[in-house]
Amino acid sequence: MSRRYDSRTTIFSPEGRLYQVEYALEAISHAGTALGILAKDGIVLAAERKVTSKLLEQDTSAEKLYTINDNMICAVAGMNADANILINYARQNAQRYLLTYNEDIPCEQLVRRLCDLKQGYTQHGGLRPFGVSFIYAGYDHLRQFQLYQSNPSGNYGGWKATSVGANNASAQSLLKQDYKEDCDLKEACAMAVKVLSKTMDSTKLSSEKIEFATVGKTKDGKIYHHLWTADEIDNLLREQGLAKVDDEPEAGDIK
Amino acid sequence: MSGYDRALSVFSPDGHVFQVEYAMEAVKRGTCAVGVKGKDIVVLGCEKRSALKLQDTRITPSKIALVDDHACLAFAGLNADARILIDKARLEAQSHRLTVEDPSSIEYITKYIASVQQRYTQSGGVRPFGISTLVVGFDKNDSTPRLYQTEPSGIYSAWKANAIGRSSKTVREFLERNHQDDMDREQTIQLTIKSLLEVVQTGAKNIEVAIMAPGKSLEMLPDDQIESYVKSIETEKQEEAAKKKTRTGTATAAILTRPGGE
Amino acid sequence: MAFSEDSGCGYQNFNFFLAEKKSAKAVADSACSWPGAPGVKLTARRSSLDHYFPSEVLLGIAGKDFVILAASKAAMRGPTVLKAEDDKTRQLNKNTVMAFSGESGDTVQFAEYIQANAALYSMRNDTELSPAAVANFVRGELARSLRSRSPYTVNLLLGGIDPVSEKPHLYWIDYLASLAPLPYAAHGYAQYYCLSILDKHHNPNISLEEGLKLLGLCTDELKRRLPIDYKGVLVKVITKDGVQEIPFDNDKIVRSA
Repeated sequence: MSRRYDSRTTIFSPEGRLYQVEYALEAISHAGTALGILAKDGIVLAAERKVTSKLLEQDTSAEKLYTINDNMICAVAGMNADANILINYARQNAQRYLLTYNEDIPCEQLVRRLCDLKQGYTQHGGLRPFGVSFIYAGYDHLRQFQLYQSNPSGNYGGWKATSVGANNASAQSLLKQDYKEDCDLKEACAMAVKVLSKTMDSTKLSSEKIEFATVGKTKDGKIYHHLWTADEIDNLLREQGLAKVDDEPEAGDIK
Repeated sequence: MSGYDRALSVFSPDGHVFQVEYAMEAVKRGTCAVGVKGKDIVVLGCEKRSALKLQDTRITPSKIALVDDHACLAFAGLNADARILIDKARLEAQSHRLTVEDPSSIEYITKYIASVQQRYTQSGGVRPFGISTLVVGFDKNDSTPRLYQTEPSGIYSAWKANAIGRSSKTVREFLERNHQDDMDREQTIQLTIKSLLEVVQTGAKNIEVAIMAPGKSLEMLPDDQIESYVKSIETEKQEEAAKKKTRTGTATAAILTRPGGE
Repeated sequence: MAFSEDSGCGYQNFNFFLAEKKSAKAVADSACSWPGAPGVKLTARRSSLDHYFPSEVLLGIAGKDFVILAASKAAMRGPTVLKAEDDKTRQLNKNTVMAFSGESGDTVQFAEYIQANAALYSMRNDTELSPAAVANFVRGELARSLRSRSPYTVNLLLGGIDPVSEKPHLYWIDYLASLAPLPYAAHGYAQYYCLSILDKHHNPNISLEEGLKLLGLCTDELKRRLPIDYKGVLVKVITKDGVQEIPFDNDKIVRSA
């Protein structure tokens, strides 16, 4: 029966639901996990990459984490092709705001603009919704460090720690358990790899399987964002004792 | 029932536009919002979902939104749809100011919102907005409180008091029983919260209240004040229940079993 | 649609980048071609411009924690005074005011257009644009208008307090879309009489009282030297607490030498 309402474009079902949107959410729940944690002096984003191969260029083929503005980065879960369109749109919007006001766009506004576009695809044109959820990490002078999440329906919310993609329910409960108010960035990074290691299929991690990024403040008050290199990730994993066995000289040495 | 509910917004042989009716269902799935007019005040009350532990409380999208300095609305239904509709209304409000210098009347804004909603029930390839709104405020140089409702179909209507969203029928019936003309500020706020408590079991932390008075900007009632209203309403209820008990005694037990205490 | 906020989509908006480069050239040009400059024949769209816009007085003074904007109260058409109580300012949001001079009609139209856009921004985003952001928005709109078939002929002073840093900002903007942040500024003939006084007496740490005294020196000089009765000035002061119109003694008699 429900076949009637779930094919083709996004329309209401008799219960007032939008199946296309719900199915898009379903699609995302199979994608690699991504998570974000807000610390008092920065934000960390971490993600599991599904496509791994020794032959992939490590630095140039980011799959999950993208820079969208000088003050903002995001993690993606879902259909990558869709994500590319949205990221492009976000980058353009950020630049257009900069051009108009000569200031960086406030984080929430950029998130909202992206979500307005997503909403449009649930309402008109006989199109399917975008099959991506985002986690955004950014800084602006209105609210300092901020972490957002958005989904295909065009809804968004602010979070202290959040996750999307496969196993996000268990990731979320782990975050809930471990999250400490006003933790610092270093602790947040440790927590991020810990949660990822528990939600991913393999117990031992390596830089091939995860992507990592942080937003923070330098000593002289400048905001930076940084997509981690493979070496930096491996170092962190070793520190946390979560690296692969073969390159694990000092396991269990936490911080 | 064969295909007429599938193509976007067309009549079925028995005269239904199913997509619009289904959109109303989406509204009913939304949290409850109440609007009450007093003598020279109008109050909006909303049920708000409690924040999860990891949610950032600095960034909580509200169900109450300012359309212009003198006009404000509450909605029930799909959040993302509401954002788009509110944005259109804000644009129109400023555009109106720019062209005729005066702020728009509340009815004008309502009419505009309703006409946008109507357009989405009749244009090709779109679904209707899954929201109802309560629009409140005061016209320029006028102290008559205004309260309007709009629906996904594009219908709009003026009310003394009304509710939309989850269990709106229960709340509306409560309002029908208890609304009086010429209520003062206290009474109006009290009635708003009292009616919301009909569907909100968890008390003050899940209620937000906005107040509009002529010539003033929107006032969001602080949490501690909502709390004290809720408390006084609850004690009042308990007292009433206790009175009933003593008055009726044990003779007519049948009355006591009514779900009045709650 | 009446609004030109930056929410359009597609690549076309990046034409702005091109427009931006051109405007840099226009700014350079404008330096030597102010209306009425000796030997410069303005080939611009409004040849009648030099006729009346310089006779309006706009003054701006930024101090320690405030910005003063003063605008002459005479509405003129050529040598004729049409009105003596004209308000050449508009408040854009809680902490920003714009004073304008130029072709009447254009001025109010443009100012109210900016005002509406600033209000729309406040409404949509639940925050106020900073004075710097408004100034850049205005500059962009003027640059766009300048390259249209009928450009606005408006000169502006924009003053405000940044809501976050609570620092005062004053911007000088002209109809060729040049934008300059300045500690004190003037438009029209007032420039020729007042800038030297401001050069001598202004410093960025003056108090509001000193600022108003300084403004008094300027208006005295205008009365002494300017052969036009500009009907006194309307004075607005922006502090972190908001915008206020300040009563100003315009009746003082100043004798020419």
